[in-house]
Amino acid sequence: MANMEKPMNTFCGQTSRREFLHQVGGGFTSLALTGMMAGDGFLANQAMAADGQTPWENPLKPKNPPLPAKAKHVIFLFMYGGPSQVDTFDYKPKMYPLDGKTIQVKTFGRGGKKNGGRVVGPKWQFKQYGQCGKHVSDLFPHLGQQSDKIAYLHSMTADSPIHGSAMLMMNSGHVLSGKPSLGSWVNYGLGSENENLPGYVVMLDPTGGPISGAKNWTSGYMPAAFQGVTVNASGTPILDLKNARGMSREEQRTMLDALNKYNSRHLSDRTDNSNLSARIASYELAYKMQMSAPEAVDFDQEKEHVKALYGIGDRRTDDFGKKCLLARRLVERGVRFIQIYSGGNHNDANWDAHGDLVKNHSYHAGNTDKPIAGLLQDLEQRGLLDETLIVWGGEFGRQPTAEYARGTGRDHNSYGFTMWMAGGGIKGGVSVGQTDEIGSKAVENRFHVKNLHATILTQLGFDPNHLSYFYRGLDQRLVGVEGAEPIKQII
Amino acid sequence: MIFVGVSLAGWMSVQAQELSDAAKVQFFDQKVLGILKENCFKCHGAEKRLKGHFRVTSRKGLLEGGDIGPAINLNEPEKSLLLEMISYKDGDHEMPPKEKLPQEQIDILTQWVKMGAPFNPKHEIAGEAEKVLPNTQVNERTRAYWAYQPIKRPAVPQVADKAWSASAIDAFILDRLNKAQLKPNGPADKRQLIRRAYYGLIGLPPTPEEVQAFVDDQSANAFEKVVDNLLARPQYGEKWGRHWLDLVRYAETNGYERDSRKDLIWKYRDYVIRAFNEDKPYDRFIKEQLAGDELPDKTGDSITATGFYRLGIWDDEPADRPLARYDYLDDILRTASETFLGMTVGCARCHDHKIDPIPQKDYYTLLSFFSDISPHGKGGTNHVPINDTPADRAKHDAKVTAKQQNEMVLTGKISALEREFIAGLAKKHPELKIESGPKGPRNARVLPDSIAAGQEWEYTTVQPAGNWFEIAFDDSKWKKGLGGFGTAGTPGSQVRTTWNTKDIWLRKDFGLQGVPSKLVLKIHHDEDAVVYLNGKKIIELKGHLSNYMEIDVTQASVSVLQTGRNTLAIHCRQTGGGQYIDAGLTADTAATPAEVLARKHGAEVLGAARYAEWVRLQKALAASQAQQLTFEIGKAMAVAERGRQKTWVLARGNPQLQGEEVAPAFPQILDADEATIPEGYGNGNQTTGKRRVLAEWMASKDNPMTAKVMANRLWQHHFGRGIVRSSNNFGYIGDEPTHPELLNWLAAELIEGGWTLKRMHKLIMMSRAYQMASSGQSAGLKADPNNDLFWRFDMRRLAAEEIRDSILNLTGQLNLKMAGPSIYTEIPHEVARTASRPGAAWGRSSKEDAARRSVYIFVKRSLHEPFLASFDWADTDNTCDVRFVTTVPTQTLTMLNSKFLNDSAEVLATRLQTETKEERTQVSRAIELATSRPATEADITDGVKLMNTFKQGGMDANQALQRFCLLVLNLNEFVYLD
Repeated sequence: MANMEKPMNTFCGQTSRREFLHQVGGGFTSLALTGMMAGDGFLANQAMAADGQTPWENPLKPKNPPLPAKAKHVIFLFMYGGPSQVDTFDYKPKMYPLDGKTIQVKTFGRGGKKNGGRVVGPKWQFKQYGQCGKHVSDLFPHLGQQSDKIAYLHSMTADSPIHGSAMLMMNSGHVLSGKPSLGSWVNYGLGSENENLPGYVVMLDPTGGPISGAKNWTSGYMPAAFQGVTVNASGTPILDLKNARGMSREEQRTMLDALNKYNSRHLSDRTDNSNLSARIASYELAYKMQMSAPEAVDFDQEKEHVKALYGIGDRRTDDFGKKCLLARRLVERGVRFIQIYSGGNHNDANWDAHGDLVKNHSYHAGNTDKPIAGLLQDLEQRGLLDETLIVWGGEFGRQPTAEYARGTGRDHNSYGFTMWMAGGGIKGGVSVGQTDEIGSKAVENRFHVKNLHATILTQLGFDPNHLSYFYRGLDQRLVGVEGAEPIKQII
Repeated sequence: MIFVGVSLAGWMSVQAQELSDAAKVQFFDQKVLGILKENCFKCHGAEKRLKGHFRVTSRKGLLEGGDIGPAINLNEPEKSLLLEMISYKDGDHEMPPKEKLPQEQIDILTQWVKMGAPFNPKHEIAGEAEKVLPNTQVNERTRAYWAYQPIKRPAVPQVADKAWSASAIDAFILDRLNKAQLKPNGPADKRQLIRRAYYGLIGLPPTPEEVQAFVDDQSANAFEKVVDNLLARPQYGEKWGRHWLDLVRYAETNGYERDSRKDLIWKYRDYVIRAFNEDKPYDRFIKEQLAGDELPDKTGDSITATGFYRLGIWDDEPADRPLARYDYLDDILRTASETFLGMTVGCARCHDHKIDPIPQKDYYTLLSFFSDISPHGKGGTNHVPINDTPADRAKHDAKVTAKQQNEMVLTGKISALEREFIAGLAKKHPELKIESGPKGPRNARVLPDSIAAGQEWEYTTVQPAGNWFEIAFDDSKWKKGLGGFGTAGTPGSQVRTTWNTKDIWLRKDFGLQGVPSKLVLKIHHDEDAVVYLNGKKIIELKGHLSNYMEIDVTQASVSVLQTGRNTLAIHCRQTGGGQYIDAGLTADTAATPAEVLARKHGAEVLGAARYAEWVRLQKALAASQAQQLTFEIGKAMAVAERGRQKTWVLARGNPQLQGEEVAPAFPQILDADEATIPEGYGNGNQTTGKRRVLAEWMASKDNPMTAKVMANRLWQHHFGRGIVRSSNNFGYIGDEPTHPELLNWLAAELIEGGWTLKRMHKLIMMSRAYQMASSGQSAGLKADPNNDLFWRFDMRRLAAEEIRDSILNLTGQLNLKMAGPSIYTEIPHEVARTASRPGAAWGRSSKEDAARRSVYIFVKRSLHEPFLASFDWADTDNTCDVRFVTTVPTQTLTMLNSKFLNDSAEVLATRLQTETKEERTQVSRAIELATSRPATEADITDGVKLMNTFKQGGMDANQALQRFCLLVLNLNEFVYLD
């Protein structure tokens, strides 16, 4: 808890910050709102640009993290709806014989708080995989084989067992709306290595976005430049990348050259306004982006065996496989943060198995098992896994007991659930934390979502308790004012 | 002297306590003093400055520390703030600010701190301001903070320049510039100025004709006329209302789970726009929003204003309900304190404010004003009547009386004409006798439809004889059945007799005592139907309906209607799908027979002119009678209170950790009197009156914050930045005012002018400061690149709404219709599909509605209208005092490639082509429309050249012009104002 040793009444040291800003000639348009990042000259440079002498800088220009980084990229595989831990990675052998028995156990889900219910035993068998001998359910025959690359977190907890607020928690660290998402923090802290692509990419399920839609990749109180950009793995990857009426590159070049003439004349007696030149520059950037982004989704360059590795071409795995492959290609092109949703819309269109657990989880696991395993292998063989942090999980897990009198459906559970991480400096073949014998709650090494966020930021080279953004009179942090420690056991 | 010359490594190996005091001082003199002098003294005590109220030039100063605490911790030296600062480990705490000290110097200072920070008194610079009171407490120092001072009108400085002393604003500005030896810019070009004024007040550009008129107007008050004209336009309220909506984080959904709609909340938006347009005094505006339901002279508007309390986010299914209630109230408190007071009281929820003198208790005493507000809920839960006051009733009664009087006058005139008509008729047509039959009701159901109860009809599905529709036709062989006729499941039907063949013929008799003056057919047909009355075809209907509709058939029927027996006959024909037929007649039997006869013979008897007069009077009477003046209770989403909730100070903001119970009170730092809630201050016994007390305190001229905060906002939206740049935060961490005196003067002026805003706009806009050119000048750029002193007017990019509205305006599509439920623009599929229910994510409006001003676009928290969002639209979850202005390539993609822009380019091209076929003129017109200035020769040449290039590439003239139009919409000059 080194961070807690800071002098008590410093309140984020704003007095010194304000003076600092005055020294560097602060005071450009949105100075009061724009945050400042520890140990980085970003704001200083932006502020300097207001003098008209220094060139304008793209807010997404690449930045170095203040500390040595293990990971440069994050791929967050979001299992929206909440996968059941005891049916996936959290092996509970003593639970099988309890199937159908009524027991006392405290649960809290969308159906409120309960004190007991009928146990639904795990619906799949578990096998051991790899050197680590990890038990993985038969839902994931491909992924199981990758266990030696993976660190399992069995004792995750979150603040809410309700989709809307739990999604916000997992994505922005807070159940209250209006905060920037994890990817925005990364975008803000690191920028994008490739100015022709967005730094923060979101890929959605074909059935629609998750509950609360764009709030899950919002930049909250930060400028919109830091928000996630939804990208399609096929067709036109980015909104408005192609002209609505069709326009060849030559035509566009001709038009932009003419536009440039007009804008340059306008600029000629306003040379001190760097915003005008920035806008001129943004046309050239967009021009390049229109070239780069389609190239990134052009899978024709990929070999067949690579596509097969991701399950591309198979009906069940084609969609998620393409997204995983695109994620790798984006990583290669310098994109910092990629989030892929498995599941969208409502009810059984995602992992939210309230009714028929077997049908639901068979479907969603079947769609994603091979693509994710393929992604891990492909990244490894290209030497990218070391610098790419993979995160897998939903906004919460599921309860050990049945939600209804009949059937296998399980209600939400934020008292304990499983997530896993791999690559980006994370230890492989380890399991940390435990739930009780029926997976109802975390009992050992309990980790909060904030610890997960802190771990991600740490691997990216940030002190999670220092990466801050000044807003509303406070240095806001992803992990909140009270801070959070990374999960040291897996680093 | 043994230590002199010993290497640094040697120093480090020596334990501090081993040194004698003299040696320590010597260490200080030889090693430490130089470092401190070089790097710290200048800002921390050697000169006048004492940054952070921290003195490094004495041991006492170091031990006491400054704003953020003691610099040296004698008990645990390694934890000393000074060492933390110089270590550069924490980006928030880095000293010296320029760069990190070399490691050897850090080591020396570390060593020195560990030995107890000895200081040679010979080198101490004591200074006066030794003891500094912390700024986080209410004390003499914080009470003296500039923002908390009562508003006092300062003396206007004397400046020599006559042109700059006419307006007090200018005198304040020039005085500062003079002191800095800077000169203000000259006046802006008239074309730039009028464009600035239009966008500034109504968010839209002037037409080229308006620009030319202003340029040609050489009168001294030419600009004043422009300003007055703009302030009177309804678009002013839309532009300035939107600024307010940013502050109160206006949105029309709750932000959680399925992001449900807040029905009727748009009435708050309309209220705000109306308030600006009516120039509602700002103090009243505050009172209405905070306590519009409790005011003695409350109105529907004032109740609607309390929608303020329902604008925020709320969680439908919170995991922790008690916490969710406090989150809801917290959101209100934060928004209110930042919006009205420029104070971040919300920071004191969990602990005392860390920067400003706002103890945690103040947070909860302020919160208790809101504690009885009823919780949020779905559907109509938060709807309240908005016109149920005695004043509303009286207003309604007055309307009814006026209506009755009007009808009496009309009836008198009509009667006079009819008496004349009857006399004349008796002469011309003695055969016609005017019966004085009884009058029936106005809406007699002379032939009821079968919606509620089945009516018996004669019918056949076999082709009848040709005269089947005549009154005299014998239908005794036809079948009898209850209406309606058709197949079950047909939309809007009430099937009682199955009809599933191709054709059906129906007849039904009905009686009339007098001839009605109006006859309405109510019919549901699926599909084609022909309707006859007494043998005359009165209407033919094609296709099918999905419900009953009403058709006035008076004109068609008047010639055949008769007293006694009448017959309605219908033929309906089916081609496919569901089928159905039913009908009914409603008659206005209140007319006198004279009326009916007058329709037939009026012109003949009275002459054309007097007959026309009679018709006009009848119409006026009918129109008046058609008005339904029932007293309907309108509703709005607004505030209500439920129960009486106690408030406690909550430790760490945790609802479970209740501390001291508190009563409503104002922030102590503002030195306000105790808050007392007088009897009868509430809305009857429904509310406590607490909010009214708060509102009156906030809206008081004695409140040191309110007028300053609002005056600053007015300035901000004219000049692009506030005199205090952080316009929601006037606290210690906020920006200092660049012109404190001017701010005070403006605040005083706002109050003394009766809190009206239009007067303030004019005052500001008539200043030379406002009318300055935006161009750079080397002295200004060098000495004051941020334009802190206002040596020029800052250029600005248009806001998101202004860009969209300007595009629609330029293409001639902008629809200026005001008010009402929000509208939807066409959004790309890629955006809709980000919602969890892609199909239900967004609505659809007609093309005309979709072209209304941006302030009327539906504000959905989880799906921001994509065009507005890309141009830095206001965040909808938090109060937004200053919008970002970012420039990113995704905006460019929108401007170049989106359907909206390309559609607009096409419409603009069409507009230009209808105006002229000549290419040069098309180009110059487009430039002038987009920039409010005449095109230059270069503009024209480049445009024509571009179109030629495209044409040589195979495009037709129209396509080439569209491309040029797209270019025009992308001009920097189009989206940037001088």
